[in-house]
Amino acid sequence: MQTAISPKQNSTKAWLKDNGGMIGLLIFLAAFPFIVALFEGQPFTEVLANETGNAKFLQGLLIEVFILAIYAISYDLILGITGLLSFGHAMFFAAGAYFTGIAFKNYELGIGATLVGIVVLGIVQAILFGIVLPRVKGITFALVTLGMASMFHIIIQASELAEWTGADVGLQGVTTPDLINTSTERFRLYLITLMVTFLVYLVYRRFVDSPTGRVCVAIRENEDRALMLGYNTFHFKLAALILSSITAALAGFFHTVHQPIVSPNVAGLGWTVAALLIILMGGVGTLSGAMVGAAVFRLLEFFLDKQFGENANFLLGVIYVLLVLFLPFGIVGTWRAKRFRTQS
Amino acid sequence: MADEIILETRAVRREFGALVAVDDVSIKVQARTLHSIIGPNGAGKTTFFNLLSGNLAPTGGRIFFKGRDITRLPVHKTAHLGIGRSFQITNLFPNLTVLENIRLSCQALGRDNFRFFQSHRRFKQYEERAWEVAQQVGLADQAPLLARTLPHGAQRKLELGMILAPDPELLLLDEPTAGMASEQVPELMALIERIQEAGQKTVMLVEHNMHVVMGHSDKITVMHQGAVLAEGTPDEIAANETVQTAYLGGLYDLAGKAAV
Repeated sequence: MQTAISPKQNSTKAWLKDNGGMIGLLIFLAAFPFIVALFEGQPFTEVLANETGNAKFLQGLLIEVFILAIYAISYDLILGITGLLSFGHAMFFAAGAYFTGIAFKNYELGIGATLVGIVVLGIVQAILFGIVLPRVKGITFALVTLGMASMFHIIIQASELAEWTGADVGLQGVTTPDLINTSTERFRLYLITLMVTFLVYLVYRRFVDSPTGRVCVAIRENEDRALMLGYNTFHFKLAALILSSITAALAGFFHTVHQPIVSPNVAGLGWTVAALLIILMGGVGTLSGAMVGAAVFRLLEFFLDKQFGENANFLLGVIYVLLVLFLPFGIVGTWRAKRFRTQS
Repeated sequence: MADEIILETRAVRREFGALVAVDDVSIKVQARTLHSIIGPNGAGKTTFFNLLSGNLAPTGGRIFFKGRDITRLPVHKTAHLGIGRSFQITNLFPNLTVLENIRLSCQALGRDNFRFFQSHRRFKQYEERAWEVAQQVGLADQAPLLARTLPHGAQRKLELGMILAPDPELLLLDEPTAGMASEQVPELMALIERIQEAGQKTVMLVEHNMHVVMGHSDKITVMHQGAVLAEGTPDEIAANETVQTAYLGGLYDLAGKAAV
C-alpha cells in the first residue's frame, strides 16, 4: 500500500526538485576557489589565508559579477516586472557607493550603521522618484529620472564637495573595515557577496510571487485595467521602487568595499545602460536573467579584454547585437519560452 | 423595494474644451434591472460611462451611488464600492493566464495586497473564486491559456468574468458584444441576463445591436449629442417618433423586429 506523503514533506521535495540546480550552483561557487587551487597545485590553506594567486584573482572577478547581478536584478524589478522605464537607476547604485565610501572614510562608521544608512538612503531615493510617479508615465518618467540622476552626477563632481566626494577624481583610498577587507579577507568577502546575491534573488522571487508582486506584473501588462479593478497602482509602483532602490544601494555598498575606490562614472548614464544591457541579454522580467546576464557581461568583457586588448570593445558590441538578434527574449527568456512551447 | 434607485445622476456634464460631450444628463437607474443607453456614434455614451466609473471627472453635476455622492471618486475607489466596468475595446492583461486575469480581479478588493513575502498561492480564497467565475462564464477549459491567445469571443467573456469576480452590485457594460460574430451574441446576452437575474444585479448596457437592446432591456435611455433624448421601456422607445427620426431611422417597428 502506498503511504501518504505529508504535504509538508511533499512541498520540501517539490522545492528541492525545482531549486536543485540553484543549490548545486551555490555549492559549486562556494567551492570554486578550492577547485581553482586544485588545478593550480596551490594548497587549500593558502586559499583560506588569501594568498596571492589565480584563486584569489578569480574570486575578485566573481565578486564583481555578484555585485553586477545584485544591481541588475534591482533594475529588472522596476523595468521587467513593474514596467517602469527609468534612466536614473545608476543614481541608486552610486548613492550607495558614495555613502559607503564617505561613511568609512570621513566618519569611520561601522558596517552595521552603514548598512542601516543604506536602507534609509534607498527609501529616500525611491520616494524622490515616487514624487513624480503619479504625474508622469512611460518615456516622460524615463526622462525625468534621467534628469534627476544627471543632477546627482553633476553634484557629486562639484569641487565644493571635494572634501567628501573627491569631486571629479572620485573617492580614493577608502579604508574598509578589516572584517570585510577585500585584499586581506578576500575569501570571506567572496562568500558574503555570494550569499547576499542568492538571498536577494530568493527575496525577489518571493516578492514577485506575492500578491503585491502579482499586481506589479499586472501594472506592467495594463496599468489602466489594474486601476479599474480597484488597485491604487501608485502604492505598488512605490513598493517596487523602494525594494529596488535599497537593493541597488546595497550593490553600491559592496562595490565600494571591493574596489575600494568610487569613480564618478558609476553615477553616469553608462552605468544605467549597463544594467539595461545585462537584463536584455539575460531576459527582461525573468529575475534569473539578471544573474546570468551579469556573468556574461563581466566575464565576456574580461576575457575579450585579455585576448584582444583595445579591440575588445568592438567585439563586445558585435556580440551584444548578435545576442539581441538571435535571443530576442534574452538567454533565460528564450530558454523559458522554448520549454513552455514544448510543454504545451 | 421595487423602486429602489441604485444610481442617480443630476445634471452631469462633461466638456472637452468647447465640445459638450455629456450635456446635463439626469437619469435614475432602478436596482436589479437592465438599463440600456443607446444613441448614435458620438452621442456621449462611453464618456457618460467614464464619468460613472470615475475614469473621467465630470465638469458639472453630481453622481450618487446608493445615495452616496461619488462624483469626485477616482477610478480605483469606485471598484471598491461595487461598481464593475467593462470596456468597448478588449482590456485585459494580455500576457497573463485567463485564471490569473480573474484572480487579480478577485484579489483587488481583498486585504492581502501588501503581503510582500508570502506566495499569492497561500491566499486560496481568490483562486477558488477565480475558478468559480471561470466556470460561470464558460472559460474553465481555457483557464491556463494566456489571455492574448484567446479568440475574440472568449476575450469578451473573460472581460465579463473580470468584472464579475469581485461580485459588484452594478455592472457597467460598454458594448459587450462589440466585434463578436453574430451567432455568438445570443450566448453572451443569455449569460449576462442569467448573471443579472440570478445575482440580483443591476446592469447598465451601452449597445449598438438593436436586437439585444430591445430584447433584454427593462428600460432604455436614448442619448443624442450628449443629452437625453428619450427614456422609457423598449416598446415606448420603439414607438417614440423623435427617437425614430433621430436614431432608429424607421428601421425598427413596434413589434420589435427590424423592418429591413
